Amino acid sequence: MRNFLRVFLSRPIPLVGLVIFAVVVALALLAPLLFARGPFTIVGMPLLPPGAPGLLVGSDVLGRDMAVGLAYGARISLLVGITSTLGAVGIGVLLGAVAGYYGGWLDDLLMRVTEFFQIIPSFVLLMVLVAFMQPSLSSTVIGIALITWPQVARVVRGEFLSLRGREFVQAARTLGMGDARIIFTQVLPNALPPIIVVGSMMVGSAILTESALSFLGLGDPNLLSWGSMIGGSRSAMWVAWWTTVLPGLAIMITVLALNFIGDGLNDALNPRRRR
Amino acid sequence: MGEPLIDIRDLIVALPPGADRAHAVDGVSLTINPNEILCIVGESGSGKSLTAHAVMGLLPRGVTASGGQILFGGADLLRLPPSGIRKLRGRDIAMIFQDPMAALNPVVTIGRQITEQIRAHRAIPEKEALELAGGLLAEMGLADPKALLKSFPHQLSGGQRQRVMIAMALSLSPKLLIADEPTTALDVTTQAQILKLIKRIQTERAMSVLFITHDFGVVADMADRVAVMRHGRVVEEGAAAEVLGNPKHSYTRALIAAVPRGESALQPVAQDKPLLTVTELSKHFRRGGFFSGSAAVTAVDRVSLTLSRGETLGIVGESGSGKSTLARCVIRLLDPDAGEILFDGADIARMTPGALRPLRRRIQMVFQDPFSSLNPRQTVGEIVIAGPRAYGEDMKEARERAADILRLVGLNPETMNRFPHEFSGGQRQRIGLARALMLKPDILIADEPVSALDVTVQAQVLKLLDDVRQQMNLAMLFITHDMRVAAQVCHRVMVMRHGQVVESGPTGTVFAAPSSDYTRALLAAIPGRGKLAPV
Repeated sequence: MRNFLRVFLSRPIPLVGLVIFAVVVALALLAPLLFARGPFTIVGMPLLPPGAPGLLVGSDVLGRDMAVGLAYGARISLLVGITSTLGAVGIGVLLGAVAGYYGGWLDDLLMRVTEFFQIIPSFVLLMVLVAFMQPSLSSTVIGIALITWPQVARVVRGEFLSLRGREFVQAARTLGMGDARIIFTQVLPNALPPIIVVGSMMVGSAILTESALSFLGLGDPNLLSWGSMIGGSRSAMWVAWWTTVLPGLAIMITVLALNFIGDGLNDALNPRRRR
Repeated sequence: MGEPLIDIRDLIVALPPGADRAHAVDGVSLTINPNEILCIVGESGSGKSLTAHAVMGLLPRGVTASGGQILFGGADLLRLPPSGIRKLRGRDIAMIFQDPMAALNPVVTIGRQITEQIRAHRAIPEKEALELAGGLLAEMGLADPKALLKSFPHQLSGGQRQRVMIAMALSLSPKLLIADEPTTALDVTTQAQILKLIKRIQTERAMSVLFITHDFGVVADMADRVAVMRHGRVVEEGAAAEVLGNPKHSYTRALIAAVPRGESALQPVAQDKPLLTVTELSKHFRRGGFFSGSAAVTAVDRVSLTLSRGETLGIVGESGSGKSTLARCVIRLLDPDAGEILFDGADIARMTPGALRPLRRRIQMVFQDPFSSLNPRQTVGEIVIAGPRAYGEDMKEARERAADILRLVGLNPETMNRFPHEFSGGQRQRIGLARALMLKPDILIADEPVSALDVTVQAQVLKLLDDVRQQMNLAMLFITHDMRVAAQVCHRVMVMRHGQVVESGPTGTVFAAPSSDYTRALLAAIPGRGKLAPV
C-alpha cells in the first residue's frame, strides 16, 4: 500500500488530477452551505457578465447566479457519475467473473448477451431507456449503468480467464473450497487493479453522458446539472459566452482530472511498472 | 597457451539503487583461452549470467558495468562505442539463450531469420545466404534443412529450435560462443543431444565457448575449465578435473554434494493394503477448433498404479508424457474419461463435487511453480489457514496449528503476517507444503516440487518432503522429469511416455537393470553420470 501511494503521488499528472477532483468534490459538498438560497433563485438581471456586482461569474438567461448553478451542478454530475459507475461495475464484475471462471457454454451465453449491448448504438439505447422510464435522476443513473457495464464485464472476464488457470486457484480447489469462496477470496482480489482503473475512467465518461442527456432535455427537470445549464443557455451562446463556456469547462476539467487519476492508478497498480 | 581470447579484469556490474545489493558482479577476473570451454557455474543471483551479458554488451536497463575491463582483440569492450560493439556481436561473439522460443521471432521463417543475421554483416545475395543457412542446419544434425528454412518457430520442437539458435549463432563463424543455460528448458534426452552438439562443433571449429549453467552434472560433461561464482564473486577457478575431483572451496564442495547422483538408496516398503488403487485411467483432450476440426489427444492412456501408506511412488517422464495430467486426475482437478480411482474403498473418479468435498482434504498437492502457487494478495497466515477455514475450523485453533506446521516445515511462525513475495523460492515451497499439511492429508501429490529451485535448496526441500512423509506416515506421489531426483526420494518409480507406462518397479531395480530402451535412454542422458565422485 505504501509502495502504491509512493508511485501514485510521485508523478505530477495524477497529483494534479487528484487536487482538481478534490476541489470539485469540496465544491459539491459545500454548495448548500455556501449558497443556501439554491440554484433556481433569481438574483438580478439576466445575462450579466462575470464581475458584475455580487456575481463572480455572471448570471444566466433567467438572471440566476451562474456560480451557484456550477456548484449545484457539480453535485448532480458527481452523483450520477459515481453511482452509475458503481452500478455498472457491480453488474460487470458479477457477469464477467461468472463467465471467466466457469467458461464453457455459460461463458458463451453471457458474452453473447454482452455483445448484444455493445453492438447497439449506446447513446440511442440510453435515450430510449430514459424516455421509457420517465426522465429523472434514477432513470439517468440506471440507463448509464445499463449501457456501460459490458466494458467492465469484458475486462473482468479476461482477468478471470487468466487467473483461474494459476496454481494458487487450483490449490484452493484441492483444499476443498467452494466456487463462490474461490471467486471472492482468491481470484477477485487479484483482478481488482484493472477494475479500479476502468472504473475511474468510467466516472468521467458517465459525467459526459449525463451532460449530453441533460443538454437534450432528458435529464431530471427538477435538478440543475452542468449539461442542462448548457442546454438551457444555448440560445444565448452568441451574446453571453459565459453561460455555455463555463459549465462546459467544468465538465472538461472534471473529466480530465478523472482521466489523470485513472492513468496514475494504471501505473501504480501495474506491478510491471512499479519500480 | 598463449594470449587469452577474452580477458575479463576486475569486472564490476552495478545494480540500480534500491536493489538488495550494490554490485551484482563484484570484481570478477576471468580469462577465456582459444579453443576451450569455460563453464561458469553458480546458483541464481550469483552474477553468472550478468557476467556473460556484460561481455556481449547486453546488460539490462539500469544495470551498468561500472568498473574493470573486458579485453578482446586488444580493445576494451566496455569502452567501445555502440557501433563498435554491434560489429562484434554476431560476427566475433555470438550468444544462445535459455528459451529458444522467446529468442526467435514467431512471425518470421527460420530461413529469413538466419539470412538476416548473415546479411547484416556480409554483403551477399539472399540466395547465397539461404544456401549457407541450409548447410548450417545440416551441420546441426537437423533433417530436411530445406523444409526447415521455410517453417516458423512454433512448428519446431524445443530441441530443434535450440539447434536453429546454435546454427544462427555460428553463421558468421564467431571466435566465442556464449551459451546462457542453453539446455535448462529442454527435456533430459534433448539436453544430452544439444550438449553433445555444442561439444562437437566446439572441437571441429576450434572455437571458445563460455557456458553458463547451474548444474554440476552439465559441467562434468562439458567443461575444460570451471569458474564457480557466488554472490558476484568467483570463489574457485581451475581445470575441470581439478575442481570436480578435488574442490578447494567449501561452497564448491557443498554444490557438488547437493547434486543428486541418480543412485537409489531407498528400499521399497512392504505393500500391505494399498491406500490408492488406480485402474486403467484415461484422459483425452480435444484440440483444434473452428477451422482445423477437432482431434482428441490422449494424454493419459490406461494407466494403473497402487500407492500404500508411508511410501513414495515416483512418476518420471519428459514433457508431454502425461505425468502431470495423471496427477491432476487423481486429485480431481481434471475429470478422467475412463477408469477408476479407488481411494480408501471409494471410487472417486466419477464422484460429484458435493460428494467429493469431504474427501478432498485427504489428498493434497504441492505445486511446481513457487511463484504462482501462492495467492500474492494474501499473507502467509491467510494462505495456510484457508483450507481448515473452508472446512469450518475455528480461527484461533487454525492459527495455533498453523504455527506448529510452519515450524515443522522449517519456517518461523512469525512469517504469518508477511506476503509471499517477501520469500525465496525454497521458502515459498515450504509455505505450499505447510498449506497442504494443514489438512492432515493421507496422500500428498508433489508435482515437480523442486524443479524451479537451486540445487542446494532442492536438496533441502527433498529432505524435508521425505522427513514429513515419515513423520506423518504419508503416501506420496512424486511427479518429476529428473531421474536423479526420483532416485533420491522414491521407493518405487513408474516411467511414462506418451501417456503410457513404459516401466515400473522398485527404484533400485529400475535404475540398475532397466527393462525398456526408453528408460535406458533416460538414464544415459543424465548429465555428468559417473563423472561426479560419490558423496
